[in-house]
Parts: sequence; structure tokens; C-alpha cells
Amino acid sequence: MPDEMAPAPEPPGPPSLFGVTVRRAFVTGRIYLGIATAVSVAIAVVIGVASAAVFASFVPLLLPVYMVLAGMGGLMVFTSDRMKGVYEYLLAYGLTPRRLFLNAILASLVLVATVLGLALGVGLAVFVGRGNTVTGPLAVALALYTVPMSFTAVAFAATVGMYWSSVSSPREGLVSPVGLAPLVGVLPPLVTLFVGNAVGGAYADLAVVLALLVFVLVVLALIAAVDRLLPRERFLSSA
Amino acid sequence: MHAVAGGDRPSRIECRGLRAGYGHLEVLRDVSFTIDRPAVYVVLGPNGAGKTTLFRALAGILPARAGTVTIGNDAVDRPTARDRMHYLSHLDGVPEGLRVREALEFYARVERAAPSDVDRVLDRLELRELAGRFLAQLSAGQKKRVSIARIFLRERAIYLLDEPTSNLDPKLAREIRGLILELGRERVVLYSSHNLYEAREIGEFVLVIRDGRLALFDRIENLRGSRFVVGLRLLRPHPAVADYPRQGEYFVRELKGPEEVPGLVRDLETQGVLLREVREMENPLEELFG
Repeated sequence: MPDEMAPAPEPPGPPSLFGVTVRRAFVTGRIYLGIATAVSVAIAVVIGVASAAVFASFVPLLLPVYMVLAGMGGLMVFTSDRMKGVYEYLLAYGLTPRRLFLNAILASLVLVATVLGLALGVGLAVFVGRGNTVTGPLAVALALYTVPMSFTAVAFAATVGMYWSSVSSPREGLVSPVGLAPLVGVLPPLVTLFVGNAVGGAYADLAVVLALLVFVLVVLALIAAVDRLLPRERFLSSA
Repeated sequence: MHAVAGGDRPSRIECRGLRAGYGHLEVLRDVSFTIDRPAVYVVLGPNGAGKTTLFRALAGILPARAGTVTIGNDAVDRPTARDRMHYLSHLDGVPEGLRVREALEFYARVERAAPSDVDRVLDRLELRELAGRFLAQLSAGQKKRVSIARIFLRERAIYLLDEPTSNLDPKLAREIRGLILELGRERVVLYSSHNLYEAREIGEFVLVIRDGRLALFDRIENLRGSRFVVGLRLLRPHPAVADYPRQGEYFVRELKGPEEVPGLVRDLETQGVLLREVREMENPLEELFG
């Protein structure tokens, strides 16, 4: 008789928590964010004032390296939430590991968009204000390399860092996921530049785009495999 | 199969042959019990026995490797089952980077509670003064208070509370125990603690986990230690108790059971002993830890 109870109505799904994750990433990663903003804007402005040729050659290549630092907030929120039991709480209320993973990566990308927009905006304003024009090669370098590479490098660093954080025991300092992430993050820019330089000539741009694409695919594959490679227990702190 | 019958079904928890663990490590082995009436159920066991793993499995966080967990009429991984439970882990679970009020608003979004509930809870847990402070600036006890506040944002049928009073100062721990007792009148509260006196004070039933198995499920009042020892604290020294052994300020006396206490008190008062306090010196729950 008791089992005849009417089925309870399905409650609405849990909120995405994306907005609050972004806000927390700004606060938690504020030191990295400050360093990345200060250095990248300073580089863009100083080189823009000093030499148009150097600006066009170096700024597009340097910015993605500093964007890796700018995007650390998302990874920091992830590692903190895992260790402090926030994910344990959120999983109990129906959020999925993939949602938590995506929130952290997207939060990192929002941080990068903010700092990159600021550095490029200020740098290009100074560059153009000094009487220079944005040439075709500079525009191509920014569009094909600087912007996509900044996002790819950060997504790669955050994804690898989150996997590292999920499969390892808590570590502090340089060998922690947050300590290693900047080193991992410079890998995509370095490899891509190396491939572009090695191919050279007319196919250099194509090689850069293809190398970038490989890193994007790696990130997407790792995100898609979260539920399979990282069982829920990986999101729990040690009991 | 252990069972407690009665009560309404939304607060029913049924575990059958539950096995759960991490990686190659199996922590819970064949745990079976049914809870079907509102009360405070204390989960006890030594460190590493599997208490936290049991809470995680009941909350649907850790999937069962074998067996089933049913909440009400639903499997624990169904949203309807999750919607009946509050889960408070042994960790604070406070989201860094937010202020206290923002953290409660964060919880309120997850719980689908109204914004007015945040204000109610700020007052109920005496967090109003801390509302504007970042969580990183709080002490461990204050963080725990914020963490506990979330279970009062919305009423649910089942409360899974893993060490809710650890890190709390005695005053707040007492208040939280009061709130838990209040909850236990109409809700199922599963509660783990290392404080056996606290467990005895608020629990009606006890579940003992040992080596990943349910070693005991019974009413706490049914547990009787092999010895019943009372401590007597006097207003002033008296020769009638001079030959009693001492434990600190207490003169101790072993009795056959609590039913002998009134007779002992009567005898001593007849002899002119002025008693300030009579207390039980040994907690039968201690023996459960073997």
C-alpha cells in the first residue's frame, strides 16, 4: 500500500552558476589578473611608443604568454572549490562535473577577454596615436595568432590544470596545479610558433592555424571526456 | 536488515546491500538499513570507518557500486530524491571570493530559496554583523557557521549532517545542537560526530559504522554500558564519601544501573551530605568504539 504514493513532480534543474563563477574568478585570481594587466598593457604601450616595427613583430607574440596569467582565476576557483568541499555540496544538489568544469574554463576565458581587450585597445590606440597604421600583416597576426592563441593557451592551461588537480593529491607551491598551469599554458604559443617557423613561407599562416586547431581539439576532447575520465569521486576532497 | 518503522514516506531512507568506495578502495560493504520516522540518528564510528562515505552515498554524490539507496520512493540519483535532502559535508564548502551575504545568496540560488530567506538565516545564525566580510577573512568557526546556515534556507524532509559542530565554540555548538533537536522532531536528521556526549544528548537512534559495515542500529536508550559509574560533586567535604575513589572534583561510585541513583542520593542526604551535582561518568557510546 505505501508504495502506491503518486510520483513527486520533477523539480527544476540546478542553476548554471556561471555568472557567480566569473565574479569569483575575478576576486580569487586578482593578483595574477593585476600582474597580467599591468605587464601586458605596459608592453603594448612602451613598445608602441618606442617602435612601430617592433610593436608589429613582438606584441602579437608576447601577449598570449601574459594572458595565461590573466586566466588563472578560473583554475584557482576550481582547485579551491574541490579542496574546500564546495563541489561536494554542488554535486549533492545536482550540478554535474562537466558543468563545474565548463564554468571554470569559461570564467578563465572571460578574464582573458577583459585583459586582452584592454591591452590590445590601449596598445593599438597608442600605436595609431603615434601616427602608425595597422598594416595587413599586423592585423593578420592579431586575428590569426594573438587573439585565438590567447584563448587557446588559457583554455589548455585551465583544462590540464583541472585534470591535474582532480587526479592528484593536494599539493602546494610550484608543483600545485595553479603553480604548474602557467608553464603548461606557454606550451601552445611555443609549439605553434615553432611549427609556423619550421614550415615558413606561404604555408606558415596555415601551419599556425592548424597547430592552434590541434590544441583547441585537445581541449574540447578533454572537456567531452570529463564524465568518463574523471568519476564524481575525483571532485571530492579526501574524506 | 535494521529498520525503524513509522512516519511519512518523503523522509524515508532505504539502503540495501550498499557498497561504495573510491578507486580500488571499497569503503562501505553491504550496508543495509531503513529509516522511516523523524528523529535524530547519530552515525558513529572510528576514523576511516566509512561515515563520510556513507553520507556521500546517501546524498547521491558517490554512486553505489552495488546495492541501492532509495529516498522516499525514488532512487537517490533522481532529482526528486535530491530535492528531499540537505547535505552538509564535513568540510565547510564555503565558496571563496565571496562575502558572507553573497555566499548565502549563492547557496540560495542552488537551493532555489527566496532572497528573503537569506535575511532570515543571517539573523537566525547571528551572521548579520559578518554579512559584508569576505569568507577568507573569517575564522574556522565563523566559516562553519556560514556553512551550517545554508541548511536553514529551505526546509527539506531529510538532513544529512556530517560533523556539523566541529570547529564551533561551545556556545554556538550548543545552539546548533538545539536547532538539530528541533529539526529532528519533524524531520529525519542523520548526524555524525566524534563527541559522544553530544551524540547522546541529541540522538534518539545510533548507527555504528565499523570497517565499512553497519555494526549496530538501535535506540540510544537501549544501549547500556557494562558499568554504570556516577560522579558526585559536594558542596562541602563529608566523611561519608571519604573512601570513594576520586576523579578530579568528583567522588565516583559504581552502581548496577541508573535505577540505583535515587537511592544513593537519598542515603547520602540522610547522612547529611550536601550534593552539588550528580553525573554519569562513563558514556556507553564509548564502548561502541571498542
